[in-house]
Amino acid sequence: MKYQFEIIVGLIVILFIGTFLYTSSINPDAEFGGSDGVGSAVVSELTGIPEDDVKPLIPQWAPPSGEIESGLFALQAAFGGVILGLGFGYLIGQRTTQ
Amino acid sequence: MEGFLPPLWAAIWWIVALPFVIYGFVRLKQTIDENKDALPLLGICGALIFILSALKLPSVTGSCSHPTGTGLSAIVFGPFITAIIGFIVLLFQALFLAHGGLSTLGANTFSMAICGPFLGYYVYRALKDTKINIYITVFIAVALADLFTYVITALELALAVPAGEVGFIGLFITFLGVFAVTQIPLAILEGAVLALVFKYIVDIKPDIITKMKIFSEEQIHAARGKIQ
Repeated sequence: MKYQFEIIVGLIVILFIGTFLYTSSINPDAEFGGSDGVGSAVVSELTGIPEDDVKPLIPQWAPPSGEIESGLFALQAAFGGVILGLGFGYLIGQRTTQ
Repeated sequence: MEGFLPPLWAAIWWIVALPFVIYGFVRLKQTIDENKDALPLLGICGALIFILSALKLPSVTGSCSHPTGTGLSAIVFGPFITAIIGFIVLLFQALFLAHGGLSTLGANTFSMAICGPFLGYYVYRALKDTKINIYITVFIAVALADLFTYVITALELALAVPAGEVGFIGLFITFLGVFAVTQIPLAILEGAVLALVFKYIVDIKPDIITKMKIFSEEQIHAARGKIQ
C-alpha cells in the first residue's frame, strides 16, 4: 500500500491530538503550563523557598513577555526549518543530477 | 529552571558534560573532513533538534513539555556529535529565551544532549542486527532517547533537592511523575515523526546510509519491500 507509513504517523498524530482534547475536556482546570514550571513548584514546596525568590546563579536576559518568548521560539524553529529544507533539497538535487 | 539547581550540582553537571561536548566537537570536525556527503545529513539531523526542542506540546498530565529531537542524530552520527549539537541548541535557549540558564546548561546538556542520545544510540545498536524493521528500530531508539532525557532531568532534581521525609526514591518518583509521565505521549509522537523523516532519507539517498554503515543494504531493501 502506498503511503502506508505516512498514514500510520498521521494516525499517531491524530491520537495525540485526541488525547489532548480528551484530557483538556475532562480536566478544565489544566493550565498546560510548562512541566518546568510544575517541577519548580515542587522544588519550592520541598525547600520552602518561594519560586519568585529563586534567582539565576548567573544573571541572564529573559524575554520581557510571553509574546516575545514565543516569537523567539518560532524563530528557532524557522531556522531549523530552513536548514532542514536545505539538507533535503541538497539530497534531492544530488539524486536528480546523477 | 534556572537557579533551582544549587551551585555545587550546577558545577558538577558542567564538569561531567564538558568532556562529551569537547570530544563531540573533535569528532564533528573529523566526520565533516572525511565525508563531505555527510554534511546535508548533519544539517537535517541538527535542524530537527532545533525545530523539535522549540515545540512545546501539551500532554495528558495537563502540562506542556517539548520533544528533544536528538534520537535521529544519535543514530546517524553517534552520541558525541549529538552532544555538541544539543549543547548549541541549549546555549541558544539559555541566552535568548531564558529557557534553562547558563548555570544549569551543564545539567541540561547532560540530560538532553548526552544521556538521551547515548541511550538511543545503544538501543539502536542492540536492535540494529536483529530482524526488526529498520524504521521500527529508529522509532524505538528515538522515543526512548526522548523519554530517558526526562528521566535524567528528574534524577538531577531529585539529587539536588533535600529529600526530607519522602527520601531520595520518593523524590525521584515525584519528579518522574512531573517530567517523564508528561513526556510519554511526546516521545511516541517524536519517534513516529523522526522514523518518517528517516524513511525519506532512505528513499532519497540509500547509499549514504550504507556508506555510513547505519544499516546494511539488505536491511534497507527488506524494509523498502514491506513499507512504501
